[in-house]
Amino acid sequence: MNRKLLVWVVAPMLLAVLYGCPKKKPQTTDATLDVETESVAPTTDTATEIEEPAVATADDTEEDLLLSGDLQAVNEELARRGFSPDIFFNYDEAGLSDEAREKLARNADLLRGQPQFSLTIEGHCDERGTNEYNLALGERRAYAARDYLSSLGVADGRMRTISYGEERPACSESGESCWSQNRRAHMVVTGRSNVG
Amino acid sequence: MLPRRLALAALLLLLLPLALALLPWAGAQQPPPAAPPEPDDRVTIVLDPTRQRPLIRLAVPAFRAAGLSGAAAAAARELEATVRADLEVSGYFAIQGPDDFRVLRLTGDPARDAEQYRALGNEILLLGDIRAEGERIVFEGRLFDLQSGQGILAKRYRGSFAVARRIGHTFADEVIRYLTGGRGIGLSSIAFTSDRTGHKEIWVMDWDGSGPRRLTGHKSTSMSPAWEASGAGLAYTSFFKGPPAIYYVELATGRKRGVVTSGSLNITPTFSPDGGRVAFARSLGGNIEIFSAARDGSSLRRLTHSNAIDTNPAWSPKGGEIVFTSSRGGKPHLYLMGADGSDQRRLTFAGDYNDGAAWSPDGDRIAYTSRRGGRFQIAVLDLATLESRVLTSGAGENESPTFSPDGRKIAFTSRRGGRKQIYVLDTAGGGNLRQLTREGNNDMAEWSRK
Repeated sequence: MNRKLLVWVVAPMLLAVLYGCPKKKPQTTDATLDVETESVAPTTDTATEIEEPAVATADDTEEDLLLSGDLQAVNEELARRGFSPDIFFNYDEAGLSDEAREKLARNADLLRGQPQFSLTIEGHCDERGTNEYNLALGERRAYAARDYLSSLGVADGRMRTISYGEERPACSESGESCWSQNRRAHMVVTGRSNVG
Repeated sequence: MLPRRLALAALLLLLLPLALALLPWAGAQQPPPAAPPEPDDRVTIVLDPTRQRPLIRLAVPAFRAAGLSGAAAAAARELEATVRADLEVSGYFAIQGPDDFRVLRLTGDPARDAEQYRALGNEILLLGDIRAEGERIVFEGRLFDLQSGQGILAKRYRGSFAVARRIGHTFADEVIRYLTGGRGIGLSSIAFTSDRTGHKEIWVMDWDGSGPRRLTGHKSTSMSPAWEASGAGLAYTSFFKGPPAIYYVELATGRKRGVVTSGSLNITPTFSPDGGRVAFARSLGGNIEIFSAARDGSSLRRLTHSNAIDTNPAWSPKGGEIVFTSSRGGKPHLYLMGADGSDQRRLTFAGDYNDGAAWSPDGDRIAYTSRRGGRFQIAVLDLATLESRVLTSGAGENESPTFSPDGRKIAFTSRRGGRKQIYVLDTAGGGNLRQLTREGNNDMAEWSRK
């Protein structure tokens, strides 16, 4: 059925092209061919502009990704813009290094510009020491990050903390190269408010 | 007057056979046994070098379990093995067993065999008899003083095959109590965490590692089990609703409820000895402090006020004090305070990382995790002298100690075998190491109080 229709549509078009018959009326009234047949009675006022359909480049989609309902996409996009998901700590310590402060300052800039996002800050420790003490230490690390972001103007209400101690390591081998990755505060966008 | 006395005597004579006939059915409710035997000067005394305490020389020939087969025979073997292991591990006895008696010509009559057992240096004879009554086993355990040849303790227990181990533990505890005056630990349990199901859950097992059963199924991370003294239930920390918070599980029903769940972090619960309150660590905007609350979470009371970490409290067995970990001096160390937060003072000075305090049942010692020379070891602090003694050595990250209810053993976690497993050793001297767990990672042992 469709193929038969196609023949009726395409065949007259081919004929028109091959034998060029501008003064003839169109062979069909099919709406899809109206564009082709404007020239039969050209009127500049009614001309339909035909343009190449817009294919967005990557740059044009940035705003869309931050508006995405997919929070993982949001986090990836924030990271692409310079948001640091992790800051790292010295063994047994919850104090911020200069490097951690720099990362937090950049994070705060981004978060101030995107007030719709709320953030969870996880505190983590390496496996050394007791699980109980590490839960407390992880809480201190999470709050060290939170308090610094707060001092840089990120509203307290946008941030929640959770300490996982040594229970959820990012890297599970024993040794300093792995331990240093686990002594961290991990920041992740976990919600969106109606603000902005 | 006289006729009445005669009548009474006649009545007693008449009742005597009846009383004798009923005796075998008296079972575990038999009257308390006669006083322990007088010490025998002629018996060689063996000294346990770690305790300098004479061991009681106990002969334990094979239990009689005639005519048993199938499930009954298996239950009988389990029962006998349990009695032997409990007595052996208790550290009170030098035990001779069936292998030592092969050369003897025994009659089975303790009075006639006493001399042969005594010739091998034994003081006390333990005889066990097991028989089946349908789907139940009946166990009779008896002790004989080998000097006098007299029976000094006789107990009878009856139960399903499933409780064979429990019968064994009960009798072993009875033997220990009778012969030493000390309490046995046969019926005690150890709560712990295990990830053998893929998630860290709260488990409980018999103190010797047998019969592990899972108490939580949160499929999250659950940890820090803490017995209430009655043994009816445990408080613990879990992440299953998000932030770490304190919950309670009732042992008999498995029912769980929240204890303190508000705020970003509530961890490391410990019960007061009367079970009325729980002490724990709680975050106040990232500042972790010790609090106590009623067991339903009401009447929250703050006990510490420092800007450092204060965590992992342990309530003393007498109830008046709480030991906890604080980093107020820089490194984590143990501190002591009144249960109301009064009179806070530092307890540990050795080691540069001390945590995980656990009281001895008498409240005179505290076991804890101590980093010495870069390695985590189990140490015991004497509260009278404030001197500490290290019980473990070498690598393996030894942590999370807990005392047995008689104070003679300490269970703890070690990675000496690769994964985290629970071990037990003697408080005096650190000997008799036994591994209690093997499946998955196991940690945070917490011995029941009874």
